Amino acid sequence: MMQKDKKNRKKHSFSLMKWLFGGKKEAMDVMQEEAIQSPMRTIVKNFVGNKLSIGGLVVFLLMFLVVLIGPLFYPIQLSEKEETQTNVAPGRDMMKVPKGLDGNVRMISTGSTFSVGVDNNGKVYVWGRTKISNKIDIKKDMPSQKELGNVVAVSAGFDHAMALNEDGEIICWGSNRMSQAKPPSGMKRKKVKQIAAGYQVSFALTEGGEVIHWGNDNLNDIRITRKNGDGNIEKIAVANTTLLAITKDGEAVHMGSQPTDIDAIPEDLGVVVDIAATADNALVLLEDGSLRAWGKGSSAVMELPEIDGKVVSLAGGRSHFTVLTDQGKVYAWGADNKGQSAVPSAAKDVSAIYSGSYQNYAITKSGKTVTWGLKGYLLGSDDLGRDVFARLLNGGRMTMTIGAISVVISTVIGIIVGGVSGFFGGWVDILLQRITEIVSSLPFLPMAMILTSIIGNSMSENARIILMMAVLGILSWPSLARLVRAQVLAEREKEFVTAANAMGVKKSSIVFKHIIPNVISVIIVSATLDFASCMLTESTLSFLGFGVKLPRPTWGNMLNGCVNSVVIKSYWWRWVFPAIMLSICVICINMVGDGLRDAIDPKSNER
Amino acid sequence: MLKYVGKRLVYMVGVFFIVSIIMFILFNNTPGDRALNQVQSLRGKVSDEQFQVRYQAARDKLGLDDPIPVRYIKWMGNLLQGDFGYSTFYKNDVIDVVGEPLKNTVIINIFATVVALGITIPLGILCAVKKFSKFDNAVQVLTIVGYSVPIYIIGLVLIYFFSVQLGWFPISGMNSPNFQGSGFAAFMDRLYYLALPVIVMTVASLGGMTRYVRAAMIDALRMDYIRTARAKGLKEKVVIYSHAWRNALLSVVTLIISWFMSVFMGSIVVEQIFQLNGIGQMYYKGLMNQDFDVALAIQMLYCVITLISNLVTDLSYGLVDPRVRIDK
Repeated sequence: MMQKDKKNRKKHSFSLMKWLFGGKKEAMDVMQEEAIQSPMRTIVKNFVGNKLSIGGLVVFLLMFLVVLIGPLFYPIQLSEKEETQTNVAPGRDMMKVPKGLDGNVRMISTGSTFSVGVDNNGKVYVWGRTKISNKIDIKKDMPSQKELGNVVAVSAGFDHAMALNEDGEIICWGSNRMSQAKPPSGMKRKKVKQIAAGYQVSFALTEGGEVIHWGNDNLNDIRITRKNGDGNIEKIAVANTTLLAITKDGEAVHMGSQPTDIDAIPEDLGVVVDIAATADNALVLLEDGSLRAWGKGSSAVMELPEIDGKVVSLAGGRSHFTVLTDQGKVYAWGADNKGQSAVPSAAKDVSAIYSGSYQNYAITKSGKTVTWGLKGYLLGSDDLGRDVFARLLNGGRMTMTIGAISVVISTVIGIIVGGVSGFFGGWVDILLQRITEIVSSLPFLPMAMILTSIIGNSMSENARIILMMAVLGILSWPSLARLVRAQVLAEREKEFVTAANAMGVKKSSIVFKHIIPNVISVIIVSATLDFASCMLTESTLSFLGFGVKLPRPTWGNMLNGCVNSVVIKSYWWRWVFPAIMLSICVICINMVGDGLRDAIDPKSNER
Repeated sequence: MLKYVGKRLVYMVGVFFIVSIIMFILFNNTPGDRALNQVQSLRGKVSDEQFQVRYQAARDKLGLDDPIPVRYIKWMGNLLQGDFGYSTFYKNDVIDVVGEPLKNTVIINIFATVVALGITIPLGILCAVKKFSKFDNAVQVLTIVGYSVPIYIIGLVLIYFFSVQLGWFPISGMNSPNFQGSGFAAFMDRLYYLALPVIVMTVASLGGMTRYVRAAMIDALRMDYIRTARAKGLKEKVVIYSHAWRNALLSVVTLIISWFMSVFMGSIVVEQIFQLNGIGQMYYKGLMNQDFDVALAIQMLYCVITLISNLVTDLSYGLVDPRVRIDK
């Protein structure tokens, strides 16, 4: 029965070899078949014949290359934090303009992760990541077109949207936690000419130059008084939580009363024609056609580019500005971390621009819509608005590096200790054996926790990582040392060692140059399996908060904040992807290790 | 045999002391002033002079001004008398703090071990008997997956399915909040809360254990006496369960012991995920809150567990299989 099985296996594996590498087609004669192979070649042949292991090796190498090269293209900033982009579901459709709207745009407004548009017939469209939370979905919550009527203007806030129809009625939907989607009664009598939605707050500007606001106005203590021009407002622009406006006299005013960056309006502005705002900066177009910006000084949006032609329109995203000139040319500047300032060459002969958050829509004179900026997150974003995909790549590199280096450390120690103690015997052996036993009787995980938390507490992050590699390496060598010792004990009685001894080769050369190469196969297997276990330990430590600390990602600590029902259920992409990557990686390494062991030890092959 | 056990015990004690010295030095070189932590709350309430007096008193009480060897001997003396120190986080003696968690951890471990053995032993035997069959190959692949996937990922996945999607089990905790029942009702409530952690630990150990049982069984089935047994016409059942399994038991027993012990360490993660009041959670909190007396006591407990498990494993070789002479 066993014989039959073995034959089957052989046949099987052979056909796979043919399938993989073409293989030899002609039948072999006896001499070829019975040819003596070196042990290494036998091992390689056996290993290559193992479908599972080769599959594992290929997948592992692919993953290894991806995490090695990927971070070069997707670098991460450790301090990154973006509250408007938290827990965004995977998808790349943030700028996918709906069919009915394309070519027929009246207006587009972008909120945090979704956009609202209205076509020339007054029909409203919503697209992007519209699911803000479990209960709120901008797309689902949108009132029917009948209720909306013929819409003339739309505005998208952080988690709610507004529409203004031709009857002057304002309709809001989405999150209403701060009653930002509930216009005050008595709005009906007023004729509204502009609407704007911000973070938890909504604004409406009437024909009479009056600004009405509702929602959470305490974030920036918005007080609209006669002093800052109420009743005399021409245009408004929302800057995250606060409001900027131009009066009918061409003066820029700030409606909030917190002394923020944006509050510091330059005094020598002159007459302002148009205004746009990012979260922390404002841009105005002056009467003489020049641009002025103020606000948070350090950001790149303050560096105005050279503009060729006369500016006709301004728009602001979360951290960038776009302007349109009379020649239909678009300029964008500011932060470019999500491609929001990279105007594509297709954006020429533009008649209107709409920017918001990280998205830009340019409508060309032929009616075509050109988009650039953030399409979405391939694997979603996490609780601080960071791209899970980029963190996965960077975290993978960290996890693999730590695993690899700790294996190198443990293998080196294991070979030296095992080799020396096996070859020399006597008191050296006894001493090293006792040390091995002491180290192996240290409980692994608690020990690693204690070392990284006690020694690592006062260290810098890089030193901590090196410490972790060292700790993992130092704690995991005993098993290899025992293995090597046993192998060396068996080898040292063989003739070639006697011969080397007789020739007067140095003892240390005999051990490391003659004996160790003969047991290298065992070492490779052990190192492979250790690599997997080191990666696992690293990720377990990081998961518990004792390894690499946030914000620096590893596959383990990406799962750190994920053990609660909300994340597990609603933000599944935050734990599923790191978990899959880590699992697949370790599974592949273990498959390779198992395959190698089977290939080296014909006896275990029968198991 | 007795001589061997004695030798091993002496050796164990030696290792224990060496490890304890290492641990003690490690813990005592941590940054932070423990005496200052104790009297910190008094600062500002009493005069500076008085504060200094109190501070010095605390230092004296903790023995912080003594040289390390003296402090070690004091600490070890207390430890051997059952005084594990004082928990600054729980404001209680360590010995009183760790009792309940230790009990919980042991209960969880026993449950998990029994369930896992109940599944893996039959499965391993079946795989060994039907070696290289489709069933066996499938199980082999699954076991690689089983021992490769870290326990917290298994935990997350099972929480997702059983707690979040199906709503069968609670997500975390030890008891229902404000649970009032007693006796059987309390036991059932505890069982309800511990079910998922036990399942997670069981699933996590299936892979490794199944492979181990299978390998041991295959080794046993290859022996000459199996051929003899078959040749003399014994039923296959008798051959497998009576002849082969008994011989495979040797390595399985050692596995069970070392595995049961290792579950203690592994339960750190599970207890952390499910917020169980166990010894692992205690250790975690001790390290996180700089409550070093607790952490040190539990660390020493872990060391003792490992040492005992090594000893028992070695001894069990001889007990299960009389052919093995361990006292050579």
